[in-house]
Amino acid sequence: MNISSAIEAREIGNRIVVAGIGAIVLILAIAAVMLFINLPDANAFNGRVEQLFIENDTLTGNAEIKLLEILAGSGTAFSDTLASYRLVIFVQLVFATAMLISAIAFLVMLIALNRRMSQIERKGIEVNSLLISRDQKSVYLNNFEFKLTEAAIETLSVLAEARMDDEVLSGAEIEGVISGRHASECDEAAGATRIKRLRDTLGNQMVSELLVKNIARKGYMLAIDKDVIRMV
Amino acid sequence: MKHLSFSFLILCLTAGAAHADCYADYKAKRDGPLRLHYGVAQIDGDCDVRSATDQLRPRLDRDGWQLLNVLGVFDDAGLDDRKESAGEYFLRY
Repeated sequence: MNISSAIEAREIGNRIVVAGIGAIVLILAIAAVMLFINLPDANAFNGRVEQLFIENDTLTGNAEIKLLEILAGSGTAFSDTLASYRLVIFVQLVFATAMLISAIAFLVMLIALNRRMSQIERKGIEVNSLLISRDQKSVYLNNFEFKLTEAAIETLSVLAEARMDDEVLSGAEIEGVISGRHASECDEAAGATRIKRLRDTLGNQMVSELLVKNIARKGYMLAIDKDVIRMV
Repeated sequence: MKHLSFSFLILCLTAGAAHADCYADYKAKRDGPLRLHYGVAQIDGDCDVRSATDQLRPRLDRDGWQLLNVLGVFDDAGLDDRKESAGEYFLRY
């Protein structure tokens, strides 16, 4: 994945997050509006009683009218309760909105952190995978590919084999394994030179990969985030 | 001549009587809290539901009442039947 596509992916991700939060807010806003529209308003009971009064010409006695008024009064009292319910529901909707938004934000943060974590793990100095490819004359440390000389590959292979057997090799032993002679006939310094060469080539490339990047046909660039650079 | 003036007097009286004798019963309401009343009122001019409606609306409106509907118009004969139902709103507006 190159740099531009990574930035693009991040922008698309940001847009999706904004759209998701917007959708949540929109849905809950619609729910709130529906709530306020659909609950009977305070005058619904009065309207019903009034209708009753208009439609029935026999309900004209004093007592009947008083009764109707009491009916309307209790209805109004109940609608006050409904209004308080409505407020409670609305407050809970607001809470739900806040919760959902924070949940999404945390989810996105978690994903970003995970991605960053795995990147750090992959890019860190700690080696969690070593793959030696003899025919391509290269070694893969984590996900970095390093080109090595024939001799350096030999040295690395010997070291790797020894490591798998939990052995420690002296310079003479290394030289002995590579050259095919007995260790007692070999010079300690020859092995040390091999190690030095391996370190030099590998170290050079590792530093170049981690810090000074060579972009083909363009030039050199520091392969670090620009936020971390600080001048004293 | 005397006969004529007498008949004119009768005519005037009956006309006046007919004029004064028109009543309507109606229903009205007042909002917040809901108050209802049934009342009987005297109507001037044409004795029909429409003119009763036109006349009652402003009369009731002065006291904050809103006319719901006019049940019908009647004369003296119907007055007593409705007196008890109308109660304090009998001929008040």
